[in-house]
Amino acid sequence: MAYTTFNRQINDQMKEPMFFGNPVNVSRYDQQKYGIFEKLIEKQLSFFWRPEEVDVSKDRIDYQNLPEHEKHIFISNLKYQTLLDSVQGRSPNVAFLPIVSLPELETWIETWAFSETIHSRSYTHIVRNISAEPHKVFDDIMLNEKILERAEDVTRYYDDLINGINLYQRCGEGTHTINGETHSISLYELKRRLYLCVMSVNVLEAIRFYVSFACSFAFAERELMEGNAKIIRLIARDEALHLTGTQHMLNIMAAGDDDADMAKIAKECEEEAYTIFRKAAEQEKDWAQYLFKDGSMIGLNKDILCQYVEYITNSRMQAIGMKAIFPTTQNPIPWINTWLVSDNVQVAPQEAEISSYLVGQIDNEVDGGDFGDFDL
Amino acid sequence: MPDIKLSNGAVINFDNSARTLLDALEREQLEVNFHCREGYCGACRCKLLCGEVSYINEPLAFVRKGEFLPCCSVPVTDIEIEIP
Repeated sequence: MAYTTFNRQINDQMKEPMFFGNPVNVSRYDQQKYGIFEKLIEKQLSFFWRPEEVDVSKDRIDYQNLPEHEKHIFISNLKYQTLLDSVQGRSPNVAFLPIVSLPELETWIETWAFSETIHSRSYTHIVRNISAEPHKVFDDIMLNEKILERAEDVTRYYDDLINGINLYQRCGEGTHTINGETHSISLYELKRRLYLCVMSVNVLEAIRFYVSFACSFAFAERELMEGNAKIIRLIARDEALHLTGTQHMLNIMAAGDDDADMAKIAKECEEEAYTIFRKAAEQEKDWAQYLFKDGSMIGLNKDILCQYVEYITNSRMQAIGMKAIFPTTQNPIPWINTWLVSDNVQVAPQEAEISSYLVGQIDNEVDGGDFGDFDL
Repeated sequence: MPDIKLSNGAVINFDNSARTLLDALEREQLEVNFHCREGYCGACRCKLLCGEVSYINEPLAFVRKGEFLPCCSVPVTDIEIEIP
């Protein structure tokens, strides 16, 4: 089962499962088992943006005038997001590409990870603008205990999967002694690790970013740090798409038509999936506590943010067929939604090719009825 | 014009002045969660208890059986829905 970059086995790609079938040979999209991944790729490409397009120069003045406790909120969120996108910019490629079996899914994974690298670059763009000493901000990420605590849970499932794949592709199923240490691996166990990893990524994109998003938009509601908010909107738009991607993967796995083992695993891991969601929500609530330790900001405090975490956790769980775990049913910060509407993301249409520009402006179908209310 | 019946018994008439079901529901001051309003995030997911909707743009978000996205759909027949 060693990985090969160009599998010589002639196979019918339409019969391959998403993962753990034959490695992909020809990147062809004339036939697709799951057309949705091609549609996600096209959408993601239409979203393309560059951090340098957004002017963040006014943010420097805003930032200098923020009280210390609000500076802490702003910069801590930026550090946390930097961690999340550092992981997301590389891990889908490292973990999923060696085991993927469908060309459209392979390309979606690459497109997805690439867009995360744009997010990473945008954080440097923001930090360079607001701070004369950007290195201090980035250096602290590896020293900040609150961030490192989260890093552990964000990366654990990826690392378990990657280690398992390395062992399996080198030695195959069974118990192996490597450098004096004994390891066991089976394909079924690998599939279990894959399912949990996709679940954990889903949680990362569904919940972990949103505390930070809420704070960025709360600043912008006060007309502060608006350049940053513009960038965060573009990031949020991408993340919503990535989330849809992982939700599709999870739902395809759970349905079992793609790979019967995965449906069985989805059932077996149900309890663990609940634990992953619950733990992430608790960690994000702890993070809200840390953010507001020296004081709240106007329009947002720890309690409201914690309620929002509960609300969004419920809604994300229901999206993949799970039950809500928190009593919260109302969105405590409904104003955040207008910041997340993709139509309101201002871009030059000719550069970004937003779908509404392409389809809305030219109507080729004209008939007599269109002149009905036309008088001379 | 099709009627939209809500699970609490209220009935709203869908007329052509509303572009989508989400617009029609919001006009009645109903709180429906939404993010992208374009069918790719799935935040506005509601339950379709009976009737039929058609999509202006085919949604990218995963829509499970018995659910629909009001942000990019219009009713074809009278429908009964539940807002989560």
